[in-house]
This record gives sequence, C-alpha cells and structure tokens, in this order.
Amino acid sequence: MRALLVSLLAASTAFAGHVYIGAWQKQIIVFDEDTEKIVDRIQLANDVPNGLMLSNDRKKLFVMNAKDAAIEVVDLQTRKVENQFVLNEGNTRIRFFGMAADPEGKLLYGSSITVTKEIDRFSIGKNRFHVIDLAQKKIVKTHDMPAEDQNAFRRGAGFRVSPDGKYLYVFRDVIKIYDTTDFKEVDKIDLSKPDNPDMERVSFGGGDDPHADPATIISVFNSSDPIVHRNIFGIARFDLNNRRFEFTPVGPTTGGMMGLRLSPDRKRGYTVGMSGSGGNLRYEFIVFDMATKQIVKRQDFPGRTRLSFGISGNGKNLYIYGAGETLELYDSATLMHRKTIDLEADTTTGMVVVP
Amino acid sequence: MKHLRAVNRKAQRIEEYVAAAQGDFHALQDSRPTRPHYPMGCSIVFSPGWEVDSSGGTAGLCQPVERDLYDCYISCFWPAQVPDHLNNYPGWTSKCASATKDWRNIDLVFP
Repeated sequence: MRALLVSLLAASTAFAGHVYIGAWQKQIIVFDEDTEKIVDRIQLANDVPNGLMLSNDRKKLFVMNAKDAAIEVVDLQTRKVENQFVLNEGNTRIRFFGMAADPEGKLLYGSSITVTKEIDRFSIGKNRFHVIDLAQKKIVKTHDMPAEDQNAFRRGAGFRVSPDGKYLYVFRDVIKIYDTTDFKEVDKIDLSKPDNPDMERVSFGGGDDPHADPATIISVFNSSDPIVHRNIFGIARFDLNNRRFEFTPVGPTTGGMMGLRLSPDRKRGYTVGMSGSGGNLRYEFIVFDMATKQIVKRQDFPGRTRLSFGISGNGKNLYIYGAGETLELYDSATLMHRKTIDLEADTTTGMVVVP
Repeated sequence: MKHLRAVNRKAQRIEEYVAAAQGDFHALQDSRPTRPHYPMGCSIVFSPGWEVDSSGGTAGLCQPVERDLYDCYISCFWPAQVPDHLNNYPGWTSKCASATKDWRNIDLVFP
C-alpha cells in the first residue's frame, strides 16, 4: 500500500499543474499553473500541430498535424518526442476528422479521408474509420463508413474509446457507438454535441477534463423531442463500458455552448454560452451546481470571435484561448478576468491540462 | 409523376396518407436562420486582404484581423488569400510565430 501511495504521489507531483498547447511553429507550449509562466517549448519533429490528446495513463501526449498527417508521441516526463511518423504517401494525403487512443495507448482510432493528387484533379476518398498502430507506424485497418454517415464527420467529431477497448464512441449530431473489432454500429443515442458555430476544430478525444475518469464522460448535450423538435440542453453522464447514460434537462437551447469543464471536487461545472452572431456575438460563463444540475451563476465576458475554453488543474482558473497568441485567465469563483499571458506564438490546438 | 392523379377513393386515401407522412409541425419548432453558404471556407473572393465572416459581413472577424490568419488556416484551410501550406509553400510562415505581432516577417509568395 505504501509503495502504491508513493508511486501515486510521485506521479501526481512529477507532472503537477502543467498546461500543454500546440502552437505555431511546430511546438507545444508548456505552461506552469503554479508560477503562471511558460516553462518549456517542446519542439516537434514535423509540422504545425492541429490536435493534442492525452493518453489514459497521463504520461504521453499524442500530437497530430494537418500537413503531413503526422503522428508524434511526446513523453511528458522528458518532454521529448519519443515516436513519430508520417502517414501521407506519395500523392496521397490523409485528412483526419477525429481521433481517440485505446486504453493502452498503442492504437489510435478515428475517421479520415484520403486526398489523391492526380494529373488533372484531386480524388477524394470515402470517409472511413481507421486504426493506427503506433508501434508499426502505419494504418493497420480501415473500414468505410455507411453511406448515411459519409458527410456527417466533415466538421469534426469527438471520439472516445471505452476503457475496456470494446466500443468506439463518436459524438456529433447524434452519438453513435461502434464495435472496435468490426466497426459495426451497436447503439445510437439521440443526444447531440452543443452547437458551436464556426468554432469547430478537428476534434480529438481526451484532455478536456483534467480530472476525468476514463470510464465516464460528463458533458453538456442537446436533446430534441420527436414531436415539435424543441431543443433543450442538459447534462449527460455516460458510462463508457456498459453504454449507459443519464440525461438531466436544464433548459431550452440558446445560441451555442462549449463543453463542460468540472472542478476537481466535481461539485461545479463551467461552460461558455454564446448568443448572437457576427459583430453581435455575446459570451457568458455559465456555472452549474452538479448535484442539482441547476445554473447557479452567469457572467458576461468579452470573448474573442473564436475561442476555446479550459479549466486549470486546481479548478481556480478558467482559460480562454485560441485564435491568437494570448491565454486569458479568469477567476472561477468571481468569473472576473485576472490576467492575460502572452504565449508569443499563435495557438493551433486545444489544451491538455495535466494536474 | 405530376401527370398521375387519384381517380378512386382508395388512391385518394393513399395520396392523403403519403402527404400526412411527409408533413410536420413547424409553428413550434426551433430553427436557426438560414445563413449564406460559402462553398470555399470563409471567403469566396480571391483578393488578398479581403475576407468575410459567416454572415457575409466583416463584423464577425477576429480583432485584430491577424488573429484570423493562422487559426483559419489550421482549422478551415483558408483557401484564397494565403499560400498553400499543405502542398507548395510550407515555409512561408517560418519567421512568424505570432501573426498579430510578427506579420511583417511573413514571406511573400509570387506564384
């Protein structure tokens, strides 16, 4: 028991309170949450990253880029790239629409298309599931998506693999669950990701919630009744292993909403709501009491036109970033702006927080 | 099929059934307003320095506008105004990490 406690303590202090964000050019910025300073810049082997994902054991980062369809694996202890390879071949390029790692961190599941430059045109391949083997450094399996899903992933989707490795969850306008062995659809849930107008990046699973249990997803989802199609949003909790979920309606869907970020004690949930469009776009923080699933606080803030949202490992700061070189810190208790950090490079990925 | 019409009661009932199956309640539905469709990402104009937002105006662009440069480039492959990073000009931003501050260091490309 003592050895276990020591190892757990070591694991928690070795990577304590760091934020990882991909940025221009070819780097991952390491931000220390205690000192609120940039402490390192991990140089990548390939091109500009466009996706970051944390392994289930929280010891590695999986990094993707758009130009080469390259995958890089960064060891968080040494902060070095320990494995990297390029999936583009010859005139054929691969475009990812989402990715998720298996529980052991050896395979990456996702969806992609191929784009082949021919003598007089580009040929676009079918949308397909793919399985990337990190040891073999190649795609080891593909499976064409059904016709009705061919265009459903083009704006990106959230992917997640269940801890037992049996199911692949795909979060988009509906939630679909596939068997990871043959990619047959085993279930469909009529909940959708909240609208996030004009802010979709390529979505990668993992890392959104610094304290997440790998077997559970708790987030904001939209639901629509089958009669008058009135959209409501609520908080859903998924058990990924047994495919069960609970959905608690909260209120009518407004403009748009970002993902839910939970405090370390899981008592408070935070999201960013959007209303209006163009020059009239308005942002507000929304705070939920997670026991009652009720909104307990709202506060407008001057958000940038496109933004991403995160929470610190200790839950004291809310992060606003993306579309630019600054990281804005808001106090999670007062929802007031505290500080703006100049990252000295435009960010290109979502952030991964490792407490 | 518009030249076909129901001539007996059974055929009329079939027509009514099909029409009812395709109908829907619209008055109480939430629907988002239709917005302009831009087939090539944010902009349809091949003119350097010109970009429109998703509503066809400029009020929804990033402030300052340089913030849009890299973010649109990565997230939606901004097609017209910047060099083709994916195929032909991979190094055009190699001296510029922050577009807002270092935009003067961006390479010009003359294809």
